[in-house]
Amino acid sequence: MRKACAIFIVCLISISGNAWADCRVHKGEHIVLYSTTDDPSVLMWDSRARLREYHAASFDEAQAMLPHALLVSPGTHGDVVTCISSYVLSPLFATPDDAIGVSITSGSMKGIVRWVLGSDVRPLHKN
Amino acid sequence: MRNGPFVRITGTMLLTGFLLLSLGFAVEGTFETRAQFANTFARQAQIQQAQIDLEELLRLQIDEENSLRGYLLTRDPFYTAEYRSAAAGYDEKESAIRKTLGEEELPGADKLLIDYAHLQLEWRNTVAAPLLAHPRLRLQELDKRNKLFADYETLTAAAIRRELEGTGDELALSTQEQLDRASYLRAAWVLVFGVFAIVLNTYRSRLNRELEEERTVTEILQRAFKSESTPLPHCDVGSAYLSASSHLAVGGDVFDVYRLSENRALILIADISGKGVDAAVLTAFIKFMVRAIALRNSDPTAILTEFNVVLSKAVGDPYIFVSMFVGVLDTDTFRLTYASGGHDAAFVRRPNGVAQLAVTGPVLGVMEEPFGTETIYLQPGDTLVLATDGLTEVRNPAGEQLSDQGAMELIERASPGAQQLADEIAASVRARGGNRVGDDLAILAIRVVDEDVPHA
Repeated sequence: MRKACAIFIVCLISISGNAWADCRVHKGEHIVLYSTTDDPSVLMWDSRARLREYHAASFDEAQAMLPHALLVSPGTHGDVVTCISSYVLSPLFATPDDAIGVSITSGSMKGIVRWVLGSDVRPLHKN
Repeated sequence: MRNGPFVRITGTMLLTGFLLLSLGFAVEGTFETRAQFANTFARQAQIQQAQIDLEELLRLQIDEENSLRGYLLTRDPFYTAEYRSAAAGYDEKESAIRKTLGEEELPGADKLLIDYAHLQLEWRNTVAAPLLAHPRLRLQELDKRNKLFADYETLTAAAIRRELEGTGDELALSTQEQLDRASYLRAAWVLVFGVFAIVLNTYRSRLNRELEEERTVTEILQRAFKSESTPLPHCDVGSAYLSASSHLAVGGDVFDVYRLSENRALILIADISGKGVDAAVLTAFIKFMVRAIALRNSDPTAILTEFNVVLSKAVGDPYIFVSMFVGVLDTDTFRLTYASGGHDAAFVRRPNGVAQLAVTGPVLGVMEEPFGTETIYLQPGDTLVLATDGLTEVRNPAGEQLSDQGAMELIERASPGAQQLADEIAASVRARGGNRVGDDLAILAIRVVDEDVPHA
């Protein structure tokens, strides 16, 4: 039993390690939010599943999901809480994008933690 | 075994026909390929234009959004005017793109564009219109809807781009395939054309070689068959020969001036039925046979009689007949004894006019009837002019024959010199026939001259 638990933990660590491995940002990293679509505002979702569904949904389905999202202005700062590599699929993306958990550190929504798309996140390099 | 002329002509025509046919197909194929290319390039140009229009459409859509943002921030009516201008431009551009997509039969891209247009219309109605009416109404929900529209329009625009790019790629691939096909087709035609050209050239070379061999044989034979005129004492001898076979110097007519002794000369002119090389072969037979007979017996009647027998027995062709004039001229006395087997183109030009020498027997090779002999005396200045029926039967463009009378007038008008006379008559015959020689013509002129008078 003890041996099985040890193997499970190792596997979990390795999976978790792999999930982080290819992420564009890492836990604790300071970032700034900015979308590359026509509207640079960023939608932040209350769960990573909704983040993923939004990008795969039809327009009407996506519209119905909007109450679960916060819209933050471009330039809002945050810290990376977690990252799941290649989690979000969309017809728009050539390759799957990351789902990133972000804690907002600026503006009126400071302290809120939500999920955002990897391409909406820019690492902030402080000098 | 040699091919006959008909086979040669048919073979050459057939190969030339194939050559022209393959050339025709190659030219037609080139035009068809050109048309295909033109069509593909036109489609590619339309797709490229649609891509450019799509980018312009997206720019106009962003202009709409930015104008709205500008108005919300400043409340300046300038931005509402900009918004409406961008919206009008957007609608116009969207119609243009849909027209192109419809013409190019791209239902996938067309449907996406319709979706895109619906999104934009809905955005105008549910986001832009409320904000323009109530600029203070800038709510989080409205902004989220704006973001949703932006995301979906980006998504749809990307899909349309992909669709157009895919079509463009297909057309590029199609162009490449057309190029390949055109190259293979051209190569095939060049091959076919080349093979036909080689075959034709080989065939032509073979024909040329055969003709060359034939010409060589003919030239050798010509030397044997050639009519000859030996210089005679106190005489000026001239001759001319026109062959109906333009490339050959031989024909079915023959003349011969052959010295039998110091003061006697055999004078012969004959016309064999038929023309060309076949008739020419017989001329050699006639020339040497008559010489051989005359060396034994120089009586013209005896010569014709014996030759008539020989002709019937040796040649044995009932369709061959010969008109022949044989004379023996004494070059001391200018006494001419002659026999004429159906050969009426024999004349004597004297100072007082031209006389025709009478025929003394039938044409040789037809019947065995007796021949008579006539004797005349030539005087200095007199010219014996012997010709074949190519002279009297030459026709003018109206189809009229020259006739004996016309020939006599021609001889009377001719220059005194024997060679000049022969040349002038030959030239007249050629001119009358429209520069074409319809029948072989031999002319032999023997003019009696005083020793004191220089030859013309």
